Amino acid sequence: MSTLSASTRRPLFPRGPGLGLKALILCLLALGAILTDQRSETLTPVRDALTWALQPVMWAAALPSALARTADRMQTRESLLEENHVLRENQLLLQARLQKSAALETENRQLRELLSSSAKLEERVLIAEIISAAQDPYRQQIVLNKGARDGVYKGQALVDAQGVMGQVIRVNPATSIALLLTDPNHAIPVEINRTGLQTFALGRGDGQNLSLPYLPGNADVQVGDVLVSSALGGRFPAGYAVGKIQELKHEPGEHFMEALAEPAARLNQGRQALLVWSESFPIVEPPIEPETESAPEPAAAAPPP
Amino acid sequence: MSDRVPRLFIAASLLVALVLQLFELPYALAVLRPLWVPLVLVYWVMAIPQPTGLLTAWIAGLLLDVLLGSVLGQHALGLTVLVFMALGLRGWLALFPIWQEAALLTALWLVYAFLMFWIDGATGHRADPWLQWTPVLTTGLCWPVLVPIMNSMRRRTAHDPLHL
Repeated sequence: MSTLSASTRRPLFPRGPGLGLKALILCLLALGAILTDQRSETLTPVRDALTWALQPVMWAAALPSALARTADRMQTRESLLEENHVLRENQLLLQARLQKSAALETENRQLRELLSSSAKLEERVLIAEIISAAQDPYRQQIVLNKGARDGVYKGQALVDAQGVMGQVIRVNPATSIALLLTDPNHAIPVEINRTGLQTFALGRGDGQNLSLPYLPGNADVQVGDVLVSSALGGRFPAGYAVGKIQELKHEPGEHFMEALAEPAARLNQGRQALLVWSESFPIVEPPIEPETESAPEPAAAAPPP
Repeated sequence: MSDRVPRLFIAASLLVALVLQLFELPYALAVLRPLWVPLVLVYWVMAIPQPTGLLTAWIAGLLLDVLLGSVLGQHALGLTVLVFMALGLRGWLALFPIWQEAALLTALWLVYAFLMFWIDGATGHRADPWLQWTPVLTTGLCWPVLVPIMNSMRRRTAHDPLHL
């Protein structure tokens, strides 16, 4: 029994866990966290709590771009006057176009009523400010200043004045994170406007282009074709511009052709984006009727005359 | 050099590193952004006699995961492995002049970047492989600049009551 008593008297770890053991335990913990986070939502509260605690860091990181924006705002009088002038002209032009579109819309509605179709033309939208972007060169995500409190939901489509920007992937109480079209993890169902061909566009991860793989070799696609969103996935509202075909690649002997497209939305330039409620997503509380509309919402159509 | 650990200074430098890692840059510059958090962690491993830092590295990695929106544990694992390797090589690396040290440490940044690349792949995040490797080079170039700056700041704070 002498050996046993000797071994019980000696502490197991003379100077605490050794360096290697400590590193091993921490590595296993990290691996466990990766596996758990990958497969389930168990760690979401941890992430939320840490996100809340790290608000000051995010705020500090957003400071330089906020300062740059402020400096941007201090423009000279001349440039403002010039901008005003350009905007006036633009306003006139758009007004004229709007009159035409109002007439077209009424006509369209009448035709739809004739077809007894229930598709609605006006969509509920919300303007969101882009707080920060591009924290990491190979994750094309942006943070918006609207969150669960404003009714934002996961999977909601995001557009700007030119076209579709992406979709919301995470919703915090007051902010949300959106994945841009060009992220390698993003895919969007699209339709080629000229021919009606349905396909999908993947992000390429270079921040600039979309890729349309798996087009049939004999598909009728041309450089310059406009891509619009299709409602096939039930996630994006149909009919928004997505991009324009830039290049076609067809290796001889391959079954499929690949097309490269340039996104229509100005992904890295704007400060504001529009959250769009998709038609297939059930709206819990009915939005304020846009009958008394005066707000400059680009996507909302004008009321019928 | 004082052998007492200026804990507040370590924490502050790590916070600054997190902010530097995070703040918005134009795309072309963001590609060249050095790996600030690994840089600062390894600096402390080299600078302080006690073999501390594994837990610090793990926690900093977790914070980085939350801030970058990557899978939880990715950077924690990478930084723990990095600091463990740095602790093992510390005595040997101290023999070299700073330029050679920077070159040798680049191998460590490379291992770290490879781990990140590997976990990205395993968790189904397809990243652009080229953009992942450029920070390794800039981090290597930053080391000889960062070390004298941090050393002088540390010497200054050593006389302050801030030093705990």
